[in-house]
Amino acid sequence: MHKPDSHSVNLAAAFGFVLLAGVLVVLPHLLSFSQQEVLVLLVINVLLVCSYRLLTLTGEWSLAHAVIMGVGAYTSALVAKKLSVPVPLAMLAGASMAGFIAFLLSFPLFRMKGFYFLIASFAAGEVIRLSWKWSDLTFLFGGPKGIKRIPAFPDFLTIDFYEPVNYYYLCLVVVAISLLILYRIEKSRIGLTFHAIHWQDKLAESVGVNTFRYRTLAFVFSAFFAGLAGALYAHYVGAIAPNRFSVEEMVYILIWAIVGGTATFYGPIIGVVVLTIVNEIVLRSLGVEEMRPMFYGALLIIAILFLPNGLESLVPKIKRLFRGRDKEGNGSLASPQVAE
Amino acid sequence: MTSKFTISRRDFLATTAAVTAMAGVSMPKFAFGKDNVVKIGFLAPLTGEVSAWGKPGLDGCKIWADWVNADGGVKIGDEAYKVEFVAYDDEYDPSKARTGAVKLVKEDDVKFVMMLGGDPWPGAAPIAEKENMLFSTLLPSDLSPETELLVAPCEVHPIYNVTGVEWLAENKPELKTAVVCAQDDSLGKPSVATYLAAFEAAGIEVLDEPIFFDPATTDFAPLMSKMLALKPDIICLDTCYADYVHPLVEQAFQQGFKGQMISCTADFYEKLVEKTSKEFMEGFIFQFPDFDDPAMNAEHVNFNKPNDFYAEYVKRYGKGEWSAVSWEYASIMDLWADAAGRAGTTEPVKVLEAMKVGGTGRQAFGEAKWWGKELFGIDNALVGEWPVVAIKDGKAKIQDFKSIPAWWEKHSDLMIKHMKALNQMYYQRG
Repeated sequence: MHKPDSHSVNLAAAFGFVLLAGVLVVLPHLLSFSQQEVLVLLVINVLLVCSYRLLTLTGEWSLAHAVIMGVGAYTSALVAKKLSVPVPLAMLAGASMAGFIAFLLSFPLFRMKGFYFLIASFAAGEVIRLSWKWSDLTFLFGGPKGIKRIPAFPDFLTIDFYEPVNYYYLCLVVVAISLLILYRIEKSRIGLTFHAIHWQDKLAESVGVNTFRYRTLAFVFSAFFAGLAGALYAHYVGAIAPNRFSVEEMVYILIWAIVGGTATFYGPIIGVVVLTIVNEIVLRSLGVEEMRPMFYGALLIIAILFLPNGLESLVPKIKRLFRGRDKEGNGSLASPQVAE
Repeated sequence: MTSKFTISRRDFLATTAAVTAMAGVSMPKFAFGKDNVVKIGFLAPLTGEVSAWGKPGLDGCKIWADWVNADGGVKIGDEAYKVEFVAYDDEYDPSKARTGAVKLVKEDDVKFVMMLGGDPWPGAAPIAEKENMLFSTLLPSDLSPETELLVAPCEVHPIYNVTGVEWLAENKPELKTAVVCAQDDSLGKPSVATYLAAFEAAGIEVLDEPIFFDPATTDFAPLMSKMLALKPDIICLDTCYADYVHPLVEQAFQQGFKGQMISCTADFYEKLVEKTSKEFMEGFIFQFPDFDDPAMNAEHVNFNKPNDFYAEYVKRYGKGEWSAVSWEYASIMDLWADAAGRAGTTEPVKVLEAMKVGGTGRQAFGEAKWWGKELFGIDNALVGEWPVVAIKDGKAKIQDFKSIPAWWEKHSDLMIKHMKALNQMYYQRG
């Protein structure tokens, strides 16, 4: 049986990446104005859901991730607005604060596992979210109305980041770098340890792995990038409010991850891309504004029923389909040669 | 061969005359010029927990458009324009509002955008500014000096809530104490400040601090128990969403409350009567009338054929579907169409100038003045009289029209004091 050598595999992968990069660069110019807006938010959500997946590698599913995103958004907005710190630095501050809050939360939260961790993470997230609404802190967080007129990303030369296409490219660069880091983490020894903790935490502990530290590490990394996604969001939309980071938003993150699948790095990305296109482009263009939740819900149920391993489970099938066709094609061409 | 189908000159003339006459009868008053369509954006929550203040408004706009178009359209300059509404569900989210505003303004070429306002407005605000587009909100608390192209020409939430309390104090002076609850959000807070000011002005003592509950609350039994424990004469439900008003009222009923209830809205109140009883709901005060009310035919009311509008609404969407906003966006359209007609253009800035000329306008419930500088930093809210409504024998009835500016002249200091205390003044927000 013919097996592709590593050289041809690398070449195919490189070609695939170049093609993908080309598509991503050209894409906004093929879309309408409003679709460009959706695209910006989609790229930010790709980072959000990929950051969430890093935490799930250790086997823990948090319900505080939307709030952690909010920590990044609030911190970045406040640092830029109240302290007049340049927005790029404010964004890093936002991401760092999100990581720091996750570090603090890890002490109580990682005393629990599974369902208890899930519920405790929700409670911790709500404490943070409700503190943004607290009357005594309105001077800082704006109360229920949140923060408005958040400084936008500054113009660079003649590039105006109010324009969605320009902000999309900015997000694309930031998210691409972030995904590369997340991917390298997953493929590193640390990432393998995360997997080990997920599947055999007792065994991992027995060989000297400090599971608490590794879980904390995953939580902090994951929160840093969620915070960065929040900062990207805040400086684009220009307004944030506590309700934006409520449990409803968390449900979306979970849906993207579950429908996409979390077994592969690309699973959540497929989930967020497909579901966003369905919800924001397809269903809206059908003119069924008021019925969208019903259609969206039905699609989710169908996806979960027929693709319990997520949309990512379709990828190997599609690959096999193409390989099969390829083989068939090669075969039909090769047959006469064989006959010769 | 001669044709069987011959037509005499007499028949030809008679037929032509008949067809022309029929066409003339069926033609609207103004003939639409080719492609004479003016599009209006409707950017509000059509799904989710706040949809009760978006979706019924869109339904009302459809009736408004059908009537106006059947009547020849909106006359702007020398041309008549058919009106089309383009809707976008902002899901009460600022990022969706931004996307929706971009779509409506840059793709659908709308000339005016109506919003519910509140949390989504800041997302749409940059689009209004950059694209020079006129927007309207139902929530004047969105207004600020920076938002010159945002107007509140119909609903003056929460300021009109003072009229309900004022009427209550005048007509039921025996009520001396109240408790207030509201969801902890951008609608609840300024409304609580308004009720606190109104109660203080009316000499009604508010027992304990107002209770702010999280919008995610689903179990209202403990909250109602806490309020009833204070033994108030009045329970004030502030500007709770319909999804909260209903369970709160049910809880008050189940826990045996016998006193007065007051709320900004009582959307779909027929269902509340069904869930409780006519007796329990008797005297429930709120601020939004059914438009079949005879009082709506008063001379000062500017809304076009309110009784017919209500009848058509009920016919199309069902009796229990009338809500606070069913007529409001349509009322804003009356003002916009009038201003665009006078301006002779749909150009947003010129329409706004025409709308505000002379500092007054024809608000749905009467002549009103452009006001708001002290409270919102800008005179972009149209404030005049507002009805006080009470449920009588299971049906909403207007009790009186009361003047908001008259109340403001006497008690503005109280309003500002409470708004400041809850950080709701325009310079305190975000």
